[in-house]
Amino acid sequence: MKYFSRHTYNGGLAIALLSAISISLSGCDEDDKQSVSKHNWQLAWSDDFDGTAGILPDASKWGFDLGNNGGWGNAELENYTDDPENVSLDGDGHLVITAIQNGNSFTSARVNTKGKFSQAYGRVEARLKMPYGPGIWPAFWMLGANNAEVGWPQCGEIDIMELKGQAPNVINGTVHGPGYSAGGAISSSYALQNSRFDLDYHVFAVEWTENQIDFFVDDYLYKRVSKSDVPGEWVYDHPFFLILNVAVGGNYVGFPTAQTPFPQKMTIDYVKVYQ
Amino acid sequence: MKPNFKILAKQLFLWIFVFAVFSCENDPNDYESASYSKNPEVFIDTFSAGLNFSSYGGAVANAFQVDPDVAYNNSAASMRFDVPNVNDSSGSYAGGSFYTTVGRNLTGYDALTFWAKSTVAATIDVVGFGNDFGDNKYQASISGLQISTVWKKYIIPIPDPSKLTVEKGMFFISEGPENGNGYSFWVDEVKFEKLGTINPQQPKILNGEDVVQNAYVGVTNTIDGLACAFNMPNGINQGVNVTPAYFTFTSSNEAVATVNELGIVNTVGAGTAVISATVNGVEALGSLTINSSGTFVHAPTPTADPADVIPIFSDTYTNVPVNYYNGFWEPYQTTQSADFAVAGDNVLNYTNFNFVGIEFSSPTVDASGMSHLHVDLYIPNALPAGANFKVTLNDFGADGVFGGGNDTGATVTFTAPTLVSQGWISLNIPLASFGALASRAHLGQIVFEGANITNFYADNIYFQNDGSVIPPVPTTAAPTPSYPAANVTSIFSDAYTNLAGSDLNPNWGQGTVTTQVAIAGNNTLKYAGLNYQGLALAGGTNVSNRTFLHLDYYSANSTALNVYLISTGPVEKLQPLTVPTTAGWNSVDIPLSSFAPVNLNDVIQLKFDGNGDIYLDNVLFRN
Repeated sequence: MKYFSRHTYNGGLAIALLSAISISLSGCDEDDKQSVSKHNWQLAWSDDFDGTAGILPDASKWGFDLGNNGGWGNAELENYTDDPENVSLDGDGHLVITAIQNGNSFTSARVNTKGKFSQAYGRVEARLKMPYGPGIWPAFWMLGANNAEVGWPQCGEIDIMELKGQAPNVINGTVHGPGYSAGGAISSSYALQNSRFDLDYHVFAVEWTENQIDFFVDDYLYKRVSKSDVPGEWVYDHPFFLILNVAVGGNYVGFPTAQTPFPQKMTIDYVKVYQ
Repeated sequence: MKPNFKILAKQLFLWIFVFAVFSCENDPNDYESASYSKNPEVFIDTFSAGLNFSSYGGAVANAFQVDPDVAYNNSAASMRFDVPNVNDSSGSYAGGSFYTTVGRNLTGYDALTFWAKSTVAATIDVVGFGNDFGDNKYQASISGLQISTVWKKYIIPIPDPSKLTVEKGMFFISEGPENGNGYSFWVDEVKFEKLGTINPQQPKILNGEDVVQNAYVGVTNTIDGLACAFNMPNGINQGVNVTPAYFTFTSSNEAVATVNELGIVNTVGAGTAVISATVNGVEALGSLTINSSGTFVHAPTPTADPADVIPIFSDTYTNVPVNYYNGFWEPYQTTQSADFAVAGDNVLNYTNFNFVGIEFSSPTVDASGMSHLHVDLYIPNALPAGANFKVTLNDFGADGVFGGGNDTGATVTFTAPTLVSQGWISLNIPLASFGALASRAHLGQIVFEGANITNFYADNIYFQNDGSVIPPVPTTAAPTPSYPAANVTSIFSDAYTNLAGSDLNPNWGQGTVTTQVAIAGNNTLKYAGLNYQGLALAGGTNVSNRTFLHLDYYSANSTALNVYLISTGPVEKLQPLTVPTTAGWNSVDIPLSSFAPVNLNDVIQLKFDGNGDIYLDNVLFRN
């Protein structure tokens, strides 16, 4: 028994080494790519955030969630505003959401397309550069547009990208539905081995059909959620709207510390939705 | 089976590793500096190739050991440092540097990493790399690194890897006792790595501030307040101590100011130049703007004899101890200091001026032998109407300390036309004009106060005696006469054999107190509180073969002094002597003929009358 356990342990180590090396190889080898079946996506909606520095994003596309709303169900600390110091174009084709510390309180912003744009199925992507630091929680996500009628999680939630600022090289993709929400949600993470999501822009996307939702980082498929995977009802056959925000603190990420650097910015190069 | 498998696994690891390295490094540019090793390993299970260790001076020499018993991940060995207790006779701390003789090319890495643990939770004083027992040009370190009793990985970011093309300083560490107690810590798996998970924060110069400095050609400024920080893989910022060489300094106008790689800024012309910096291409927060007025006009160089000066601030003299040139007296003082040096000429520069104090109280200055306070001022801005400049002297009294109920002060005020702008003003203030000073024997402060003068330079602040103040006691001996002894009939002199039997202090009912005192080792006759004073020879003395009566005399306070020659009769004749002696000892040779009708064949006495305290030496007749 002992012998075999040692044998197994050593073998596991060797495999772990091999896999670590193969990741570094993939970084060098441009040919090592996934083959994911390509769709003929047609652009349905987008924002490149062109405009004058300091102005709010296009009001025909984006609205705001304001205030704290009791911690948004997550004991979050931030107070969302539509103040340009929290949310504005930078003049170089980006929307910047800035989390600001004022003593023990925090302001930030949360923009959404609720009532302005929603869609069922398609490819939804954004090119983003992340904020960082303990307790910083940026997200690019979607909620079912029927959330006012049926409530959450019956409306469905697709989190295309969430990041915990204390692990700035890891993002998570998640779906929440009835019977599998919050801590029970279906989630998968993607980590950069030799970089982090605040050093460069990365493209975060889902490709969503009536049978599955595929999660991508930089066109690398890291999670597929099929209809048969969800332990409850599949609630992803109706239109969803988009949300981008930077939360501060909360049950998911934990709370900022004295060592969390502020201000923190999420920079959004573009958001594109394909049909 | 078991050992064989282990060896196989290790070989497999090596092969894969080598393959991975070579398969990634196929960029031809990588081969340009192939002469320097890119070995990232410092200490894995033993010293890496070419690695040396030297402990620092004052450290326990054998505090560092290779420890085969305790190691991270049960590897062959680790580095152990035994920190001594306080007062350990063998050294006060553990510390040293691990360095290579031939430099390594570390440009492909972004951090030095290592694992560490300690016998007790502790805070390492400083740990880093780039200490090569040479220039330590690219040194980087973390101060106050907290370690614990479990193995944990630590990361020291490289501020700019592109600088480390030939680096010899691989690792250094220095740690003293924790709360007086020694302990041991282990360091293992020390290596350079390319992590990629570190986000450089904006570096800073001048602590991130935009500083504006007025300057002249020749003024030198140093860019300090250098700081680098990095957001670590856990999202927390880590400050790293850095050397200036990591910064690339630039001047916006090299014709006005140049900056070298150490951040030393030299003003070379008139105009404006902005000095900024980058680290690894990232613009640093903070800047230095040099507003140069061109060639500096120096204050006049003082010419007074150093023996006649008590210097407070001057490059010409050696200044007395000064506590400070700006006391920053709260809460009302606004004055800041922006002192500068032009070609070795240090200048005090008071900005945002309302008042400022200079204190020299350790010890206080005895200026009772001084006649003037000298201050050179330069007001660079136009002088508004109503501008005035006040100079206050404070004497701290006999206790020599501020307060105590015995301090006195006095103020002198200057206005235009004495005050001018854009030209040096040499104030030479008679100390007598500080009339309210009870004493000048314990001066402790000079205070400048101004109205409508926002900025001025000051130089050559000193107390001076222009000769009008005579020290009450001579500081030197009377000059020694050099006449041949054969030509001299001496009454009182260390240089000759004096006439026998003279009475230097006959009782003529005088009030004068006569003593003999040593002045610089020379026996000197002192008449204190002179009204009159005789000097009786043993008998009638024939000086008709001599030509002059020679006297050396000194008095700081006498306003009248006569010398008499007396022959039997008595027949006497006076000759007046000039007092006070403003130039030190006064040597006079009075023709004996001028004492007629005194009988030079029969001189019996000399006499002095007048007032004050008189020092007298070399009383003799000569040819």
